[in-house]
Order: sequence, then C-alpha cells, then structure tokens
Amino acid sequence: MDWFWPEGFYALAMLAAFALGVFALSLPVAIAMCGSAVIGAALAGFGLPLRHLVEGMFGYIDTILIIATAMIFMNAVQSIGLMDAVAAWIIRRFRRSPFPLACGVMFLIMLPGMLTGSSTACCLTTGALVAPVLMKLGVPSEKTAAFIALGAVLGMVAPPINIPVMIIGGGIDMPYVGFAVPLLIATVPVALLVIAILALPHLRRNSAADPELERELERELARMEEVPLTARLFLPFVVLIVLMLGEQTLPGVFPSLGMPLQFLLASASAFLAGRRWNALESATDAVRDAIPVLGILMGVGMFVQIMTLTGVRGFVVVSALAIPSWLLYVSIATTIPAFGAISSFGAASVLGVPFILALLSRDQILVATGLALISGLGDLVPPTALAGIFAAQVTGVKNYFAVLKHCLIPSLAIALWGIAVILLANPLAALLR
Amino acid sequence: MNFDFKGNKITATALLALALGVCVVAGREFAGNAEMDAVFPAEGFQKKMLSDYFGGLKGHPMDTPVFVQEGPEPGGSVLILGGTHPNEPSGYVSAALFLENARVARGRLFVIPFANASGFANTLAQEASPNRIRFAVLDGSVRTFRYGSRDTSPVVMWPTPDIYIHKSSGQELAGNESKNLNRAYPGDPEGTPVERLAYGIMELLRGERITLAFDLHEASPEYPVVEAIVAHERSLELAAAATMELIGQGIDMRLEPSPKNLHGLSHREWGDFTETMPILMESANPSQGRLRGRTDEALALSGRDKAYLKAAGLGRLFVPYDENGKPLEQRVARHVTAINVFLETLSLFDEPNGVSVENMPGYGEIVEKGVGAYLRKPNRESNGKPN
Repeated sequence: MDWFWPEGFYALAMLAAFALGVFALSLPVAIAMCGSAVIGAALAGFGLPLRHLVEGMFGYIDTILIIATAMIFMNAVQSIGLMDAVAAWIIRRFRRSPFPLACGVMFLIMLPGMLTGSSTACCLTTGALVAPVLMKLGVPSEKTAAFIALGAVLGMVAPPINIPVMIIGGGIDMPYVGFAVPLLIATVPVALLVIAILALPHLRRNSAADPELERELERELARMEEVPLTARLFLPFVVLIVLMLGEQTLPGVFPSLGMPLQFLLASASAFLAGRRWNALESATDAVRDAIPVLGILMGVGMFVQIMTLTGVRGFVVVSALAIPSWLLYVSIATTIPAFGAISSFGAASVLGVPFILALLSRDQILVATGLALISGLGDLVPPTALAGIFAAQVTGVKNYFAVLKHCLIPSLAIALWGIAVILLANPLAALLR
Repeated sequence: MNFDFKGNKITATALLALALGVCVVAGREFAGNAEMDAVFPAEGFQKKMLSDYFGGLKGHPMDTPVFVQEGPEPGGSVLILGGTHPNEPSGYVSAALFLENARVARGRLFVIPFANASGFANTLAQEASPNRIRFAVLDGSVRTFRYGSRDTSPVVMWPTPDIYIHKSSGQELAGNESKNLNRAYPGDPEGTPVERLAYGIMELLRGERITLAFDLHEASPEYPVVEAIVAHERSLELAAAATMELIGQGIDMRLEPSPKNLHGLSHREWGDFTETMPILMESANPSQGRLRGRTDEALALSGRDKAYLKAAGLGRLFVPYDENGKPLEQRVARHVTAINVFLETLSLFDEPNGVSVENMPGYGEIVEKGVGAYLRKPNRESNGKPN
C-alpha cells in the first residue's frame, strides 16, 4: 500500500477521468486528456498549474508542426496529379508480379521513415502515394491502411536513421555506430511477414485476369493518367529529398531548416509542376483534417507533464522494473508499447533507458535494437496511434480502430521478434563481428 | 451523456480570449526565468565575459561571465565550469561556492558559474522541473538559483535538426543533442549558437593556457557513470591519485577513462584540442532521473524519493541510496572537496604549475551547515554591483 499510495491513486484517478470524459461525456480525446491532467494536478495538491499545462503541450510542438506541414505537402502532391499518375504507372508495370510489387511498395513506404525517423512522414508522403495502387489492385482499404501503418513503423526503425536507438543510446552514452545491420535484422523479416499476411493474398488473386475487371481497371487507369507522368511532376519529392538529405550529408554547409519548413518549401515547388492548385484551399483542408490529432498531442503533452509532476511517471516506470526477472521480457513487450500510447519516442526515453540498464550483461547494440523495434509499436497504440490514424486518413478509412485490428497479429510478431533480438543479443553480436 | 455543442462567433471569441489569457499568464512566468541569477564574488575576483576570448559571442545570449582571481604567487591556471547542464544544480552551486569564498594564494583561478546561460531561462517540456531552488543564508535572507534545462533554450536555438552530426568527428546523435553544450566541443566559430559557445570556452582554455579544467555535472542514480570522475588520458594519472585520496577520506568515487569514440564531450575534446588536463565530475541527482517520483524543489534539494528507494531495493541503481536521499549539500560537498584534492595533487605532480586556493569549506562543514552558510548575503555589494 505504501508503494501504491498516493501515486497509484493519482494514476487511477487520471485514467478514470479520461475514460469518463471520452466514454460517458463523449468529449474529444484532446479535451478529455486535458481534463484528466487538471484533475491529477489538483488531487496532488498543485491546484491549476497553468505553467505545467502549457509547458507540457510544448513537448510536441515540433511534431505538431511536422504533421500540419506534411499534411499540406500531401494535399499539394495529390492536387497536382502526381499520386494518380505514379499509381497508374506502377499498376501497369507490376500488377502481374505481386511479390516484387509488394516488396517495392513496402520499401517505398519505409523510405521516408528510414531517412527521417518519422512514421508520420511515411504515411503522409509515400504511404499516400502507394495507397491507391494497393486499393486498385484489390487490397481492401482497411488492410491497405494496416500495411501502410506497419510499413511506416518499420521505416522509422530501419536504418540509417533510428531515433529511438539514438534516444536510448543518449541515455547511456552509447554512440550511434554499428546499428545498420542489427536494424536490418530487426526490420526485414517482419516486413516480409507483413507483406505475406496483408498484401500478397489479395495481389495474387488480382493478378489472375478477369475481362470485366480489366475493362473497369483500364477506365480507372485512363482517368488517373490525365496528368502525364513526367520527371517534372516529381519536383516536390525531389525538393523534399534534397532538403532532407542535404542537411545530413553536408552538415554545416547545407542549412538546417527543420522538417516543417522542408515540407512547406517542397509544397511550394508544386506550383511549378502538374495541375494548378489552390494553396489556401489545400492548406485549410490539410490543417482541418489534422486538427483532431494535433489536439490529442497537446492533451497528451499536458497529461505527461502532470504524470511527471505528481510522481505517476516514476510510479509506472519503477513498477515496470519491479516485475520479477522472469517476467522482465513480458514487461518490455507490453509496457513500452503501452507507454507508446503517449509517445513512442517518450517510451524509448522513459522506459527504454532503464530497461537497457537492466540488461547490461547483453550486447548493448542488439538490446537497443530490440527495444527500438518494440518502441516503434507505440505509434500503433491509441489514443495517439499516429501511424494508424494517418494511414486511415490516406486510405479514406473513417475509423482507425478498424485499421489497428489488422495490425494486431503483425504487431504481436514485431514484439516477439524484438524480444528474440534481445534474448539472442550476445550470439547475434558474435555472428556479426 | 452527450454534450453536443454548436460553435458560433461568440464561443470562438471566448475560446480565443481564454487562450490569450493562458498565454499571458504562462508567458509572464516563462519570461521571469530569463534574468540571470545574482552571484557575489569574493575579494580579488575580476569579471570578464566569454566574448573577451571569442568576439563572436559579443552581445549574444550565449555570452556568459568569466571570473578570474590571480594569487600573489605565480603558478598554473585552473578553470571551474559550472552550469554546462542547468538541470544539474550541484555543478553550478559548487562553482558559485568557489566564486564567493575562494582566496587564491598561488596561480590563477577561473570560474564560469553559468556556462550555458540560455539553458537557465527555460525548463525542458514534460520534465516538470521546478523553476528555482532556494537557500537560506546565515542572516536569514534567501538566495535563489534557477533550475534550468539540459539543452540550450529554444528561444536561442530552434528548430533543431532531426539528426545531430558532430562536425569534427561525423558522429550521429539524436537531434536534441545538437542543443547540448557537452556534445558541441570543440565547437565552431561559424556554427550554431551552442557550437560558438563551445568554441569560446576552447579559446579561453587555449588563450589562458589553463593547466587543469573541471566540468561539473550531475547524473541520475541509475546511470552507470555517477559519483565518478571521467578523465582524458592526459589527466588520468592525476585523477587516479586524487581518486585514491578521496576514497581515503571516505568519499566513494569511481574513475572512468574518457571513451575515445564518444565525441563532443569536454573530457574528450578539451584534451584533444587544447593543452589542458580535463576532468569531468558527476554527482548523483535524483531530480533529473527517469525513475523519480514527485518532481519539485524539495526533490532537487533533498534528493529524497520513494521511487528511487524502491529502485535501490531492486538493485537498479549505481550508487548507494537510502531514506536519507542524496541531499544537495552532500553533492556540492563532493565536488568542492574533489576539486580541493585535485589542486593539492596537482601541486605535488607538477610543482611549477601548482594552484593553491584557500578559505574553501571542507566536506563535513558543507554537509553539516548547508550550502546557504557559504553563500553571501544577497544585498552585499561586490565590485560595486552584484554580478
């Protein structure tokens, strides 16, 4: 009881207030999170700590700006006709070769995450690009969204850039060196599994020719090819890639603009390619679509700050570490994704670092790799579930829980593979040397 | 129950007014943290600015005061750097104690109490850190120091890259480390604000031919390098002798060699790019750790925390920890005593470059009487004005 009281009580009270707000009062998630934070602070004797509520929100200011500007970018490349033109080209070229098609599409989805470490970037750029391809080729929209969400999560884990590993490494002064092969070991097998479960069965079925379907597809392809696929049409993507890679390959020479400005500049370049588009309309639509998610992030920011202020965060972290050693791996596989409901990067910092310190006898590079893979799952856990929400958005699925349902089995496989990488850390490290 | 509100211009205006009100209240509190903490140097100290060593910092928020005291006898030069990480109070409070008490008998003593001055102006989002820590001075008045952020203020440095690439080594780190002074050495005169700050400190080390330089830090109790000295290979022999002496005095201390493949840190780059002997010291601060419970000023001062007590029982910490916590007095006493022992050892190892500092309180005195007993009254004028 000494350990539970009062922090455990505050934790339950905050969760109860959140549940009451969302389910009984049907409040938006963002408002319910804010309300539960206010109640937690008041119960712990901090009154109405405005400073903490505002400061907590600022924890996600960069993420919020990235999401808002990435949404504008996505809207711009859709408006100029690039998405349809690329999808039509891929369908014509690869629809008779389902496996290479699925692998290529998976790589395309993962690519922005591999370069930026952000699953949101995957969903809203190449995820949006390939979504119509998969759906036109017969993959149901919910499974398409699940495929994109899981690809986005694996993209943020795959090398060369993995931010959870960098966060965990920063906590124990481990340089980000020697992670390329371990991160490929962590991601490639599960990426193949996701292809096999979610995409291949539908793509194979569709590759068998059916004259009626063929005619319908041909009509659709003709519509999608209204804007011809020229090199110039790719200008927004080229600008984005140059800005992102330039900063990393020429540090000190190339200006560090930050992802939000990079997305805006790439969006602006869309004026020079494809169909004419209305920037103000696109920006308004994009921000209107993003507002619920941005609100959730602000609410979550307040919630985390109050958890830290009141001692609930420490209560949760030390309770996870107090689990008997034989249950440690179960704890890793469950608490890190659960904390990821708040933020996957936050989970890597708050839980990843203590867990790697609890596993010092194992190879630290492989352990950090396994922990980073598991922390990526946080982007699939509601209420934030950034990868799930944005994958649903680009595929037109209304309820993102329907997407998460299809992510369940592959997510379980990702968690188990992450634990296997940790358990096999020393033999794998010996093999890689 | 379902509240189905329909918004209109009046509700929108009311919400905007509410948001504006919240911004004003929170903004005033935030802006209040920008003012530098007052320090009251002991007789003999002269105030300079880091921009005197590197003009690129002149008029910039990253510029910071440097205090120098020269003894009557010639000797070496020592630098004490506090406030590299403004969320590690024993570092800058220890530096302030030297600044307000030291009497240099031989050589020169340089003190930079607030190395990353901009980091004192804000706290890190979602860390819920207290804004200030307070100490009762002997006459009953109160001295305050700000409790800041590990990073440079976003007002000075934003946005940050997603990946931080350390220029001279090519090492990749998470983007937030680009705002960390102790990942920015040897710095860059044309670089980011924190790289320019790091360059300014390197210029001071080179220009003043500093013999021995201390970078004072704190670490969380679950971090392996804690209650420890980290030494560059050039200072390792000196550090080994000092560590043995400290252990002989009953102060547990680990000695860690500076890793050669970890770049940007003072204990590595100060040694590689200047002639100084670098020493980084870490005390154990529960208020910055990931396992901590309720986060407030009391935790920063007492280091007492039930979550850390439980973690200690689980064998998760790298320092002994009991219900007495890790009081700030004890953490400051460790730094002050260790520096004194280093100075004595330096005089034995390198007699011509020895530095002798008097009038500093001992470990037992700081622990028993508290830090406030060795801070000067806030209304006292030194060199004309508080600095």
